[in-house]
Amino acid sequence: MRSLDPFDYFEPEDIREASELLSAKGEKACILAGGIDLIPRLRKRMLEADHVINIQKIPMMDSISFISGKGLTFGAMTRLRSLEKSSLVQDEFLILYEAIHQIASTQVKFMGTAVGNLCVGTPASDLSTVMIALDAQLTIANAEGQRNVPLSEFYLDYYRTDLEPGELVTHVFLPIPHNGTGTAFMNLVRTRADIAKVSVAVSLSVKNGVCSENRIAVGAAAPTVFRASKAETLLKGRKINTEVIQEAAKAAAEQTQPITDLRSTAGYRKEMTRVLVGRTLEMAHERARLQDEEAHP
Amino acid sequence: MKNEIVHFIVNGRPYEVIITPNITLSELLREQLDLTGTKSACGIGECGSCTVLVDGHPTLSCSTLAIAVRDKDILTIEGLSNREALHPLQQAFIETGAIQCGFCTPGMIMSAKALLDKQPDPSTEAIKEALGSNLCRCTGYVKIIDAVTSAAAFMRKGEK
Repeated sequence: MRSLDPFDYFEPEDIREASELLSAKGEKACILAGGIDLIPRLRKRMLEADHVINIQKIPMMDSISFISGKGLTFGAMTRLRSLEKSSLVQDEFLILYEAIHQIASTQVKFMGTAVGNLCVGTPASDLSTVMIALDAQLTIANAEGQRNVPLSEFYLDYYRTDLEPGELVTHVFLPIPHNGTGTAFMNLVRTRADIAKVSVAVSLSVKNGVCSENRIAVGAAAPTVFRASKAETLLKGRKINTEVIQEAAKAAAEQTQPITDLRSTAGYRKEMTRVLVGRTLEMAHERARLQDEEAHP
Repeated sequence: MKNEIVHFIVNGRPYEVIITPNITLSELLREQLDLTGTKSACGIGECGSCTVLVDGHPTLSCSTLAIAVRDKDILTIEGLSNREALHPLQQAFIETGAIQCGFCTPGMIMSAKALLDKQPDPSTEAIKEALGSNLCRCTGYVKIIDAVTSAAAFMRKGEK
């Protein structure tokens, strides 16, 4: 097995130092968080790094905290395992728990970070799909300070994100869903250890049977994870029933730009997007209805 | 890239070594510390045979930079036995016949150790989950799961 090519190694003590190093070292500087994506890509020579900047030693970056009435925030070093085991995540962000729980590798969950997964920029990230449905907001640090970006606007193209050279994601914020909101996540995989052929996550808010708000995120069916905006518009303000859901599912499938590869054909991915969007909306509707009934018995 | 003098604690024993930052933990263990019990196979974090424990957590040593885990508590398969008797997991793997070629065994046992340290009485489902990313290419997983179950039972008895 080939060793990694040589690089210079840094362990910044705070975020400012990390972003200064990133800007100073230029495009061949890489952030090391969990290492799950970075080290194999360096070994396979899919990525060149002259400088590796390890952010594991920055204090508080692995914390998960709850802002009462607002939502949950976690740092760039928060491991998948910590999120999976967090009762806050299990109680308030069920689909995030479900998406992490189905990851087959225990080692990956202990080592890997959620932010690292989001920053890879692969369209087949279940985590990106779920977090877009949950309306995740990213905090990005740079030499000037910081900026916030909705995750749904973070992906520009296949493996390309909105991160400029010298920038790194430091935190993720997930707003608490409104009362009467149901969420659901489903994916299709060959085996549990493989990445998805298609994955879909939805969030559906229902008031008196009418959809007040919704987000539909589709993964592995286009160059990036995307929001099925036509389907979302179609649902908003409508009374939710099977016909409306099927209409939305069809609209979501129309918005895919799938490819054919060893996992699936483009046609199958498109058709399965329709099926999964239909099923996740049905499930989210059921979960929303139960919530709504609890709130107004 | 410069050489650095780095301190490691492996199996409770301190080491001082000169390394470059591009050395992974599996390379450090196997090539510099002569701890070849840890196996190196896929090199990209997919097979689990390089699993060791870092501060008690199951960790893929092929995807970990050695320099990043200096001063942490590293446990490898060599650190399991007390030199007089095998660890109950090692004994159970032998007795159950959970070994064929043996290449996946150190990783399997380290993943199982991490599980039993936290969950002394795991369900079959929990064992499958803990070993979910440790691949065996010889035969199958039934005897491996049996071995972990029987080691867990043995260890619980020992504690009473």
